Amino acid sequence: MAGLALRHIEKTFGRTRVLHDVSLEAGDGEFVVLLGPSGCGKSTLLRIIAGLEPQTRGSVNIGGLCVDTLSPSNRDIAMVFQHYALYPHMTVRENLAFGLKMRGEPKPVIEERIAETAALLEIHDLLGRKPKELSGGQQQRVAMGRAIVRKPKLFLFDEPLSNLDARLRASMRVELKKLHRRLGTTMIYVTHDQAEAMTLGHTIAVMNHGRIQQIGRPDEIYHEPVNPFVAWFIGNPPMNLFEGSYRLHQQDLELCAGDLTLRVPFQAHDLAGADSGTATLGVRPEDVTFEPPGSRHVAVSGTIDLIEHLGGDAVVYLIVKGQPLVARPSPVLREHAGDSVTAYMKKIHLFINENRIPVPSS
Amino acid sequence: MRNRPVLLGGILLAVLGSLCPFLWFVLTSFKSQIQVEAIPPTWWPDGSLAFYTSALIEQRLFHYIRNSVIVAGATTVVALAVATPAAYALARLRPPGKAWILVGLLCVAMFPPIVIAGPVWQILERLGGLNTHWGLVLPYVSLTLPLAIWILTAFFQELPFELEEAAQVDGCTTWQALYRVVIPLAAPGLFTTAILTFIYAWNEFFFALLILTDPERQTLPVGIALFQGEFIMPWGEIAAASVIATLPLIVIVLLFQRGIISGLSAGAVKG
Repeated sequence: MAGLALRHIEKTFGRTRVLHDVSLEAGDGEFVVLLGPSGCGKSTLLRIIAGLEPQTRGSVNIGGLCVDTLSPSNRDIAMVFQHYALYPHMTVRENLAFGLKMRGEPKPVIEERIAETAALLEIHDLLGRKPKELSGGQQQRVAMGRAIVRKPKLFLFDEPLSNLDARLRASMRVELKKLHRRLGTTMIYVTHDQAEAMTLGHTIAVMNHGRIQQIGRPDEIYHEPVNPFVAWFIGNPPMNLFEGSYRLHQQDLELCAGDLTLRVPFQAHDLAGADSGTATLGVRPEDVTFEPPGSRHVAVSGTIDLIEHLGGDAVVYLIVKGQPLVARPSPVLREHAGDSVTAYMKKIHLFINENRIPVPSS
Repeated sequence: MRNRPVLLGGILLAVLGSLCPFLWFVLTSFKSQIQVEAIPPTWWPDGSLAFYTSALIEQRLFHYIRNSVIVAGATTVVALAVATPAAYALARLRPPGKAWILVGLLCVAMFPPIVIAGPVWQILERLGGLNTHWGLVLPYVSLTLPLAIWILTAFFQELPFELEEAAQVDGCTTWQALYRVVIPLAAPGLFTTAILTFIYAWNEFFFALLILTDPERQTLPVGIALFQGEFIMPWGEIAAASVIATLPLIVIVLLFQRGIISGLSAGAVKG
């Protein structure tokens, strides 16, 4: 039984359409991340699942039940909001109890659940305090507690870590993952942070301009992005993309982007379409090295513009025939800014008409 | 910090300046009839309570207080009952032309009372509202609503909408969310609005004089102004009655001081 199924969801605000035919399934107990830049419609989609926003078309199923006509309170969901939305006039204990009280749970059950949740999140010392007496991290825990205590069928998270500092965010990420393992409940998590998405999600749905671009496991999304947007959005620093005109030859494909010409080993029969046209060629900074790799590769020469040292490794910004190329080589190179180097691109991603074309290069 | 003495002096001057008339009638209220009429005037009263007893008993002050409590109380309750949902709707539902509605409200509040006195009197005459308390409450409510709606709208806008959504997800209906989350958080705003409305209705003189000609129904300001003296203006009784009329307001404001301050500064800083 599916934890959540969205079928052909559309949403328009006035004349602006913010969601186009979005379909998505989350298995029971699955952790699904909705990932995309701000304004891509991911939060609207979450609010539609919660029932806080009606969809224009399509249907929402939770636990096999169509909830389109149900109010948020009857959907058996819990939501953690971006700004926590703790009730300021209630203590932490009252905040936790509120949802249970509204559902008419008997007092002993409420007490037991609060104790259980407080132990799980280590917030028993905070129960008597008001939200404004808590730090950001503590408020975050209480907000999660308020969701957990209800034992809902589905958890919804709307960028819950975006207000925390980097260190706290990283530790909360780990805790959230552990929490999901312990609770085993279906979770839908909205974020624009791809590191969060990669570490937390079983499945990632990448969104842009109100459409789902790709749904897949984190490694699938990373290694086999279906279009240039996904390729560019996932990974840090982002993938190098060269857009230009291509021409197919006997053994390779030649792409001209400005002054830069790249020849990628390629079999013509891999491409069903035209022999020439425009294409986008991508390579991840991690796949750019300065020593010739054993496998097939594309070599380019250029100069180093800038090196960013990050401790363990470095990010190298190159200029190759007027085009920027970012490399994240390991082990750390000996070259300096201003040096001329030859860079080797190991794993090439090719997109024609916005679609991924498999390249048998590496 | 160099300007501190100047600043303090300025504050002291402003406070004394506004307290002067009040101080004068407090002093007068404790004087004897001879002291009130003395030329040159005496400053310090001899502590006589004669004016208080005569104001309360001969001039039937309690009867006016009762009328004022009824009118000001009813005005406050009705104005809040109408303004709260109106302001909530303006703040949350963002109806089309919201800015115009707010500007329109402000325009209504700007009419000088004398301009609307005639129409108000005629309407009340048709409705049979002259010389009744509800006939006075009606114009009071319409005149206090604009300010009440403005204050409350600003207040509701400050409350994060996420809180109500959280309440809905937690199992509240819209009304429950309003009652359990929004109203408790908006309490300072409601207090401020209630007190400002009450003070207005308590002190209002012009419409009260116009609508209530029957001494049985008159409110405090009208009653005090029309105090009967045998040969002279009963200044002493008027002063004593004014002190008594002002006391409840001072007590209310002192009691709810903190709430009022946080209500008036809503929107200035984030809570």
